[in-house]
Amino acid sequence: MSDASTITPVFVRLKLSLLRNGLRQSSGRRVAYIASAVLTLLFAALQLIGLIALRGHEHAASVVILLVAVLALGWAVMPLFFPSGDETLDPTRLVMLPLRPRPLVGALLAASLVGIGPLFTLCLLTGSVIAVAHGTAAYVVGVLGTVLGLLVCVALARAVAAANIRLLTSRKGRDLAVLSGLVIAVGAQVVNFGAQRLGSAGLGQLDPAADVLSWVPPASAISATDAASEGSYGVAMLQLALTAGALAALIAVWARHLTRLMTEPDGSTLQSPDTAVRQSTGLGRLLPAGRTGTVMERSLRYIWRDPKTKAAWVTSLAIGLIVPVFNAVQGTGSVYFACFAAGMLGIQMYNQFGQDTSAFWMVAMTISSTRDAYVELRARAFALLVITLPYATLVTAVTAAILGAWARLPETLGLSFALLGAMLATGAWSSARFPYSIPQEGHKNVAPGQVGLAWISIFGGMVAAALLCAPVIALTIWLNISADGDSWSWLLLPTGAAYGTALTALGLRLAAPRTATRLPEILTAVSKG
Amino acid sequence: MTSAVSVRGLWKRFGQQIAVAGIDLELPAGKFIGLVGPNGAGKTTTLSMVTGLLRPDQGTVEVVGHDVWRDPVAVKARIGVLPEGLRLFERLSGRELLAYTGRLRGLPGAEVDKRATQLLDVLDLAGAQHKLVVDYSTGMRKKIGLACALLHNPEVLFLDEPFEGVDPVSAQTIRGVLERYTGSGATVVFSSHVMELVESLCDWVAVMAAGRIRAHGTLAEVRGEASSLQQAFLELVGAHGRDAGSDLDWLGGGSR
Repeated sequence: MSDASTITPVFVRLKLSLLRNGLRQSSGRRVAYIASAVLTLLFAALQLIGLIALRGHEHAASVVILLVAVLALGWAVMPLFFPSGDETLDPTRLVMLPLRPRPLVGALLAASLVGIGPLFTLCLLTGSVIAVAHGTAAYVVGVLGTVLGLLVCVALARAVAAANIRLLTSRKGRDLAVLSGLVIAVGAQVVNFGAQRLGSAGLGQLDPAADVLSWVPPASAISATDAASEGSYGVAMLQLALTAGALAALIAVWARHLTRLMTEPDGSTLQSPDTAVRQSTGLGRLLPAGRTGTVMERSLRYIWRDPKTKAAWVTSLAIGLIVPVFNAVQGTGSVYFACFAAGMLGIQMYNQFGQDTSAFWMVAMTISSTRDAYVELRARAFALLVITLPYATLVTAVTAAILGAWARLPETLGLSFALLGAMLATGAWSSARFPYSIPQEGHKNVAPGQVGLAWISIFGGMVAAALLCAPVIALTIWLNISADGDSWSWLLLPTGAAYGTALTALGLRLAAPRTATRLPEILTAVSKG
Repeated sequence: MTSAVSVRGLWKRFGQQIAVAGIDLELPAGKFIGLVGPNGAGKTTTLSMVTGLLRPDQGTVEVVGHDVWRDPVAVKARIGVLPEGLRLFERLSGRELLAYTGRLRGLPGAEVDKRATQLLDVLDLAGAQHKLVVDYSTGMRKKIGLACALLHNPEVLFLDEPFEGVDPVSAQTIRGVLERYTGSGATVVFSSHVMELVESLCDWVAVMAAGRIRAHGTLAEVRGEASSLQQAFLELVGAHGRDAGSDLDWLGGGSR
């Protein structure tokens, strides 16, 4: 009962309803939804204008080919990282309906052309064609290329999603999705770095890459327009044919996976062969006995095993390294930037109990005195120091080495340790005073309604930490400007370390009674989402 | 008879909604006690307040003679809890979770490992002990949660919906462990809305509806004249005589 002509409108309407339902959420989410849509459209319009402005530029073809290739890459990885982004992407939701694969492929393809993503892509492709097309023939090829390019992008996303649906619906897939924010953050750094290189070396750098990519669909579709503009109609036809071929191949792959998904039992009903045996790593034997070692062991395990915690740590580790070292490599840095490593890692002390999620009740059940709370918080600080101390030292040493500023190493380390101590102290205190939930699914790190709390916790804490470090900063400045200060600057290392330790001890002492008396309130605060 | 749990004038409001509206309750020691009520009756809120996980607006709770809020040291060492709707540390394996919980409770490491091995065996989790809890099924989660609650040999065990979503085999295992545990003189307090289960397990019942205790006492007392606890319960909460009637007269019969 299902041929393409009857079910295609149904799926397109379904997609439109899903888009419209984005508006039917709580007012905060609705604002975010509309804002992101408006922003995307604005960005699409801006890049359309930008691409039109590029028309006639010597390297215009290279730029647009590269842009289209990056866009296609985005379409390929998007379903892996945002599986929930498009609910019609998951064919397992349709398994129970009496649908045949062939009409379904057509209907789903049509449905995927509806949305902000395809609209954005259409703008970019249109802009690209305008940027490189000269002459009627080129425009004809351009229109064909735009249609083919858009279809390739959409089919690519569908094929990747269908081929990986087992992974995407499993726990490992969801873990992967949480880490995706990281890929974007690191990708942004790389793009930023690349853009700076291009800015200094010129767009000509892109030509070799573009030469290769002009034969890779869907970039080949835009390259065909460029070829037609130059009169190489044979090349243009070949590139268009290549794109059409890729489209056919993608649809074939997708249809095959779709048929298999619709006819074979779903992965969740099969016993997973996952019998990965976790043996004790011997970590426990190195750690102190009692609550301290137990809590440290769990904290350290969670850094590796919990996707949210892992993402937060990797971000801190990466930014803590990138900022001082990249700046040093580019010759714009100062050795004091190395304090960034300590600062970024110190952030992990914030919202300790929120990181536990509602499993905090297991901790709450075993804290019956201020002493218990103190040992708990101290153990968490120790676990953090196990990684942070060597890392901050290493980053400082590397930065000093690149800048050749060995003389400043002791004082920078001293400052780092003082900052770390202040962050641990304020982190422990605000963990007890301003706990908030970290939703385990999706990309948000704060539960709805607790954004203000998170803001106070982290930024208030960072300002407080900076103020707490003021004496050490003042001492550093004084030693640097006073006449024979340099011969005494080594003193800043022990001073900073001792000051940081004292601050941490004080912070833990102040945080412990608050934790012990506020256990139910903390549990309520961290159990949302 | 001594009380395992003594609740006086317990109130809890969430904004406009009153979740628990003044509960007074004496739960006898050494019994298998069922707290029954429809969804939203306030069972979870009550158990959370009794175990010290939620602060009441008003009222006092004593567990084996110690005030939950004034003497947490004495209370927390004597109770075991399996809450509903709260997570476990899911990124630990079953065995790691037990090792963590036991050591946090202050038990010696060797003793924790010995008890963990026995609990994993009895609860039929030995084969999955090295799998992460996040990959466990609902029944396995309930069982590992129960193992965590029993590890320090508490005097009173609070279980919120311990059989919810649990397959019959796991339910039987859980039941066996709990019966052995109460047999030794310990107290189990558990909440459920499955009357048949409560009727077959418990010797003492408290019925909750809309934040209040509607009836409490031994099973026979609460059941009274009714043919089953289910019937007695429906009468108590006033849900009797409500059936689908003729509204769904098209349902069944084969024609479309």
